[in-house]
Amino acid sequence: MDVLVLGAKAALAVMLLVAGGAKLADLTGFAAVVRLFIPLRGLAPAYKYLATTVAVAEVILGGASLSFPAVEWINLVVLAAGCAFAAVSVLGFARHRGKSCRCFGALSRRTFDVPGIVRSALIAAFAGVATVGVSGSAVRLGAAAQILLLAAAVLVLAVSFTAAKALATVPQARSR
Amino acid sequence: MTIPLYLAIAQWILLLALGLLVFIMYRQLGHFFGGPTSTAEFGPAVGTGAASFEYTRVSDDTRRHFAAGDGQAALVAFVDPTCPACEALVSNLNTAADGGELDDLRVLLLTWDPPAYIQISDTFRATRLEIGRPVSHAAKDDYNVSATPLLVAIDMQGVVRAAGAVRHLNDLRAFVSKASSPARRSPAPIAIVATPNPGE
Repeated sequence: MDVLVLGAKAALAVMLLVAGGAKLADLTGFAAVVRLFIPLRGLAPAYKYLATTVAVAEVILGGASLSFPAVEWINLVVLAAGCAFAAVSVLGFARHRGKSCRCFGALSRRTFDVPGIVRSALIAAFAGVATVGVSGSAVRLGAAAQILLLAAAVLVLAVSFTAAKALATVPQARSR
Repeated sequence: MTIPLYLAIAQWILLLALGLLVFIMYRQLGHFFGGPTSTAEFGPAVGTGAASFEYTRVSDDTRRHFAAGDGQAALVAFVDPTCPACEALVSNLNTAADGGELDDLRVLLLTWDPPAYIQISDTFRATRLEIGRPVSHAAKDDYNVSATPLLVAIDMQGVVRAAGAVRHLNDLRAFVSKASSPARRSPAPIAIVATPNPGE
């Protein structure tokens, strides 16, 4: 059981880092998605700040979750984020079906659709599993291990940013 | 010495994620080294007549008509404010326009995205080039816009001289040169006359 819980926790942390890094590489695209959900006139310049805030929050949450596995309240924040993703997915499907969600920036061209809802529900379920308590020795890390994981988090962030930037240079397929 | 279970699991997941991202970047290299900038995968065929279309000018919401071959060479860019490669193209067009390189051309940026998206993109918001929204999807079919950005160079006679994705300023200059160069007359078609077989 510990393997499943810790696997879910680490996978979600890495997913948050990849998603945050990819969003930072395509802030204009993600800002357009934010606008879908908060369509206020005169707010145009603020959409990029909102998009940046969401992306940075994902990165911080992913990095903290990966490097500090013993801190239990972080699991609850990740669960709340997972539930928020699921809610956005359902709302997006209801109101903006077929539009790109840019959840992973240019790394993914997925749209608001039924499989997207299933995926976000799975993420929320994984986040729920990650809140289950595990033995203390399994998550007790020394300072060196935490620094190592933090460095790995920065590496994942940098690589996902670069990959998303590189993908963004390719012409994007259009659909009606 | 034993390592905590979490560290053992996390390192494998990190390795998997990094491997996947490196694969994505490796695949991406193919796009950079695999083919020419101007691609035949999308865009109108070179040498054919460019289609005319109606569009709404975003700056003043007026309906306009684009007629290819009205005596002025043109660059028509199909771009979306939410596409980073499109922002790069518009940025290059802005640079060329500021340098006076587009003075003899009509330059039109076309997007199907809502006008609010233009306000989100710094590059689109800052451009002085004309931005329009086609009134129908006919232009998408006529110009074979299956992906953005797509730049189409049209000469004074309304003939498509180049079409494709443009990544660099030098590629853009090549498009400008093709649109501006005098039209080449196509060779006279060879007449094939069928003669009856003497034996028949």
